Amino acid sequence: MSLPNISRVSASGLLRSSCDLRWLLRSVAPLAAPRRALTHMGYRRPGQPREDRPPWWRVKFDLAKGLKGMKRHFKLLKEEFFAPFVGPMGKPIIEHMLEQNQVLWEFRGPHSLQEWTISCDREIGGKSEIYLKVGRNNESCLLYGTLCSDPPKDGETRYSGYCTMRSKQPLASFDRKKYHDWSSFNTLHLRVRGDGRPWMINIVPETYYTHQKDDMYSYFLYTRGGPYWQDVKIPFSKFFLAHRGRIQDDQHPVWLDKINSIGFTLGDKADGPFQLEIDFIGVCKDYAHTEDFAYEKYKRNPEV
Amino acid sequence: MAPPIYSALIISLGLGTTMTFASTHWYLAWMGIEINTLAIIPLMAQNHIPRAIEATTKYFFVQATASATLLFAGISNAFLTGQWDITYTPYTLTSTLITLALAMKIGLAPLHSWMPEVMQGLNLLTGLILSTWQKLAPLYLIYQIQPNNPNIFIALGLLSIIVGGWGGFNQVQLRKILAYSSIAHLGWMILILSFSPPLALLTIIIYILMTFSLFSSFMLTRTTHINSLSTTWAKIPILTVSTPLILLSLGGLPPLTGFMPKWMILQELAKQSLCPLATMAALSSLFSLYFYLRLSYAMTLTMPPNNPAGTLPWRLNPRHNTLPLALTTTSTICLLPMTPAIMSLMPF
Repeated sequence: MSLPNISRVSASGLLRSSCDLRWLLRSVAPLAAPRRALTHMGYRRPGQPREDRPPWWRVKFDLAKGLKGMKRHFKLLKEEFFAPFVGPMGKPIIEHMLEQNQVLWEFRGPHSLQEWTISCDREIGGKSEIYLKVGRNNESCLLYGTLCSDPPKDGETRYSGYCTMRSKQPLASFDRKKYHDWSSFNTLHLRVRGDGRPWMINIVPETYYTHQKDDMYSYFLYTRGGPYWQDVKIPFSKFFLAHRGRIQDDQHPVWLDKINSIGFTLGDKADGPFQLEIDFIGVCKDYAHTEDFAYEKYKRNPEV
Repeated sequence: MAPPIYSALIISLGLGTTMTFASTHWYLAWMGIEINTLAIIPLMAQNHIPRAIEATTKYFFVQATASATLLFAGISNAFLTGQWDITYTPYTLTSTLITLALAMKIGLAPLHSWMPEVMQGLNLLTGLILSTWQKLAPLYLIYQIQPNNPNIFIALGLLSIIVGGWGGFNQVQLRKILAYSSIAHLGWMILILSFSPPLALLTIIIYILMTFSLFSSFMLTRTTHINSLSTTWAKIPILTVSTPLILLSLGGLPPLTGFMPKWMILQELAKQSLCPLATMAALSSLFSLYFYLRLSYAMTLTMPPNNPAGTLPWRLNPRHNTLPLALTTTSTICLLPMTPAIMSLMPF
């Protein structure tokens, strides 16, 4: 169903169809990974009618689901209560001190895709497509799709063409935010197999002010197109600060003690299909790497 | 930061505390504390990194709330008693309000939640100023008010010792550990304040010595995480010997200096027939000792795995002046035999 037709559907039709994502998404491929539904976004595309439905209409009240959820949350709470008796972050201190490598995400089955979410410029009216599925023999995950840089014809958007995959925020019991603590490590280690396209790795730490919510620390991931796997090690000192995609003048290294998510973005303006296969994502401590920060700080008022 | 501005802020820090020390009027005391707070804010935020700005904002909110409460309590006291003298607080309501406001200022439990997060966002030098200098003015005011009923001091003190030890249990960030250590030591000071103020003074002096030496050691080795302690032997080997002793002194183990205030406090509490309280305080300090021992273990008894010889850092002359560290480390380790002399100097 093309987007211009949606505006002619009645409000009740929209309400019925909002529960069925296939009405809104062009692709009918089976969803192997959760993706952000158009109805759950805060952004309203220019030209789309405003939603007059109250927010609780979107909630599906279900007692069985509620009880299951409570059971899950109390189980998590119990684990959180007893974890400090073992050690920091639930592991013994000696293990915490001696570990040099930690695998954070290892794609070994459909369950591993639940921690990731995918998105593309279709949300703003573009024409890209992105899918995430488990690779062959449950040994990896495959991120694939089609990039299209044609901007949406809404009279407002000038640029388009991005596809992204991002890890979900880790949650503690009762949906409280939890953070990744990578302060023991200094390098990001990935094993990927790409198609030669350049990707951007984005790390999003926890921020305090609302104007910092779009801050992310980025670096490039250049993939080779060959059939061989690629071990990529990127020190965290190389990541630079960007806000809404714009590199900032005032740079500083990323603080690794409260990381919300990591993501991969493709936006190289080369229209066409893409593929990225990921085996695992981990962090490691490279004692040979002693650099604090790779970039000079730009002084806006230099002392003379 | 430009040197004139930096100097002005440091002088303001000194001015604020001195003003509070010299005051007998609530307004002047409050003004000194406000000058202190406002002077340290730019020092905390000078790096312009998000975490430092967050720490600065949180610190400002907490201190502003406490200052407002303090001013309100001072004005209420003046309204009820007809005078502005700091030492005259006969009404329980105002003295309790003042105590709680000052407890929030210095980070006593249960008003301590801001302390670890703020310390984590600062560099070690600013954290040192926060842990030591910023405590002096509020502690002086607590010393002055001397409430009739010491129960509130006992409650705050014991809770701080327990929380300071329990909170630092599973921390791996050194700045947070030092924040919890500060909370625990302040607990000991407040506990004995109503029974023997000179002992509280002794405790704070020794605490400042120990904390200064520990912060300086961490500044020299540029360590902020427990894992990076294990490579200290490659940077400055002598610190691998002295820092565990400083940590054990902070834990209150004899024959190190840190045992002196704890010993005297327990003795005074026993004299006041508060043996259960003394026992609980002593047992609660074992929590703190546990994480001090953990840091010592990480530093001295742990070799990091796979440390190739080619990556050993160059052992150059340290850029910082190490004389203050040397003096304070010696004091932290070796002052216990001088306890009789120090006690004779104390105005009991």
